[in-house]
Formats: sequence, C-alpha cells, structure tokens
Amino acid sequence: MVPVEYYLLLSSAVFCIGLYGVLTRRNALYFLMSVELMLNAANINLIAFSLVWGNLTGQVFALFTIALAAAEVAVGIGIILVLYRNFGDIDVMDAATMRW
Amino acid sequence: MSDSDESAVAINPGAAAVALFGVLAGIILSSAGGFPTPAGFPADAAIVTNIGYALFDIGQGTVPGEGFLATFLIIAIALDVALDSAVYLAKREDDGTIISALTGGGNEVVDGEVAGTADTEAEAALDRGGDD
Repeated sequence: MVPVEYYLLLSSAVFCIGLYGVLTRRNALYFLMSVELMLNAANINLIAFSLVWGNLTGQVFALFTIALAAAEVAVGIGIILVLYRNFGDIDVMDAATMRW
Repeated sequence: MSDSDESAVAINPGAAAVALFGVLAGIILSSAGGFPTPAGFPADAAIVTNIGYALFDIGQGTVPGEGFLATFLIIAIALDVALDSAVYLAKREDDGTIISALTGGGNEVVDGEVAGTADTEAEAALDRGGDD
C-alpha cells in the first residue's frame, strides 16, 4: 500500500501550483481554476487520511467539498459575467471599485 | 492598483510557491515515520454503498463512518442558493427592461409579458425583445 507521505507530497504540490496561479493570473477564469486546484489538494488529503484510518468520513467530506466547489464555480462564473459586462474584460485587477 | 504599488511587491510569486512547497515537503518528509501504516478498507467492502449509507445516515454500513444526513441537506440548500445566485447574476438589464434566463425560451420580459406575444403591430413596435 502506498505510504501516506506520497499523497501529502502530491497534495502539497497541487496546492502550491494553485497558489502560484492565484498569485500570478489576472484572468478571472484562470483564477477560478487555480482556486479549484487548491480545493482539490484538500480533497487529496481527506481521501488519503480516509485510507490511513480505514474510515469513510474523509471520503464523504471530499464529496461535500466537491459539491461546495461546484456552488463556488456557479457563483464565480456569474460574477465573471457581471465583470465582463461592467468592465469589458475579465481582468481581476480592473475591478478596483465597487459599482453596479 | 498603480504602477508604484506593483513595484512595491518585491516577492516573486513563483519563488513564494516553490518556497512554500519546500517547507511543506520538509515537514512531511521529516515526520515520515510518524504516520501510521494505512489501514485501508476490507477487500470485499462496497465503498460506494457504504458512502451512500453514511450520506443518508442509514447505519447499515460495514465500513466505519459517521452519519451526514444533516450536512447533506445543508449542502443541498447551499447548492440551491448557488444556482439561484448564478441565475440572478446572469440576468441582464437593457433600457430598463430585465432579460432573465428563466423566461420562456430566453425571451425578454417587457412590462410583465413575454416578448413576442404582441397581438397588434403597434404593440409589436413597442417590443424591444431579442438580444440586439
């Protein structure tokens, strides 16, 4: 059986790739994808420790995280749509003011 | 953000991400002996079936787990709220009229009626329906 350290290293790598995307990308869609990478890193951890302890709670938690990620993407894409209508672009740095 | 603000950020994001990975990898590898050997699941256990039992808190599962019925319902409400929020955000306002994704066939709502249902030519002339 694969030791849990390898799962944790994979999770760390995925999280750091997502963090790099959040820090560097200005396109809102890439930004959203990077946040998804970070959420999936958390999912890898949950499932790895579910395997370690032989308990299904981690896998059920991962399912809930996936559902919340879907909700986040739905709202996020709606916000990106409004961003495009108001600013003509989906650069997250353009939205420096709150306006309707 | 002005140019002066951007120049004030001296940390390279790539270096920051790699440094964070280095720190995490160091912690994980230094505590490698501290993790227990994975217990795993019984070879004949039906994992998906047991996840279903745990989701609905039925309590007939053979694999250890907790009940998540309340959480399941709360997540269902959260998804519903997200769907409504997405529809609300996708709504477009042109010339004071609201174009919603939930009208019949995506038609524009004008004065409480579905666009394109005008009976006379005069009413049709007032109709600003469509995505033009």
